Amino acid sequence: MIVSLICALVAVFATLRIVFEKSTERKLVYLNLLNFAITGVIVFVVGTMVDPWLAIAAAAAYFVGATLESNAIASTLAQKEGRQ
Amino acid sequence: MTTYLMILMAFVAVLGAGIALLSKNAFNKLIGVAAIASGTIPFIAIAGYLDVAVAVALLLPLTTIMILKITVGDDV
Amino acid sequence: MPVPISEIVQILVAALICWIIFILVDLIFALPRKGGVSGATAIGANIKLAGGNLHGGLMMGNIVCSPDASAGTLLAACGVYIAGLPGGLFATVLVYVGNRICHDKGYAGTTGAFFATILITAITSWTVLAPEQFIAGMVLAITTIQGISHVHASRLLGKLWGWRS
Repeated sequence: MIVSLICALVAVFATLRIVFEKSTERKLVYLNLLNFAITGVIVFVVGTMVDPWLAIAAAAAYFVGATLESNAIASTLAQKEGRQ
Repeated sequence: MTTYLMILMAFVAVLGAGIALLSKNAFNKLIGVAAIASGTIPFIAIAGYLDVAVAVALLLPLTTIMILKITVGDDV
Repeated sequence: MPVPISEIVQILVAALICWIIFILVDLIFALPRKGGVSGATAIGANIKLAGGNLHGGLMMGNIVCSPDASAGTLLAACGVYIAGLPGGLFATVLVYVGNRICHDKGYAGTTGAFFATILITAITSWTVLAPEQFIAGMVLAITTIQGISHVHASRLLGKLWGWRS
């Protein structure tokens, strides 16, 4: 479907912008965009093949995990800046 | 259709590996590892192993948080 | 693989609807006022240093560090696509749990997810739009804020925040 392709293309675009961006904080913003796109891809790939509750829980688990990770990296960055 | 998705996700994973390899800053390497995982999890989901995909999606961010706590110390 | 132009137009309309939903809910919950966690203030300060607006940057930092209305709208659209209205409500519960796990005491994510569930279910029942177009639409909407130019997006968000406060 075109919609899953849109999400995958946004993911590749986000990864390319992570490569070419100099600032680490702004890499984190592009990483967040990557997480949005991959959540969409997971939902389309899993679809209705499995139990619906499991599919929604899988997408939500990936997204919350990725947000926690970005939060941890950003907090550590803020801490290092604060200590310097 | 799934083939196109797999090719694009492979791009994401390989680019992420490139970022992790070629960055000097430690935080950029962690961002690269997150990109590798984001590219790999759809592959696991396509194959049908949804529980493995959920396990990787939960364990990898936890590993990143552990790495930050161990190397930088302090409360994150 | 030929793509009908009407499908593209429908996805763009869904993107506009999602953009309005998550920007409105985030502004109502005053996300640009201050950074919820220290990481959000770091991102906001970096964007301000690059020439953007501080409040817009703080909102973008809050979007990165905690599930807010944008995450709520996306997961609500996924829920409605997979399982209709009950799926969307289940996604709302999961967004609430995610907010608490990220130590965020706000309700922007939960409210955004709830409103998005109701709105998307209503729109997909009464018009020709389909839930999967809302998922792609939400991804496109968040691209305009966090994927094109952080400086310009923060200035746009700062202007909208100025109208609200």
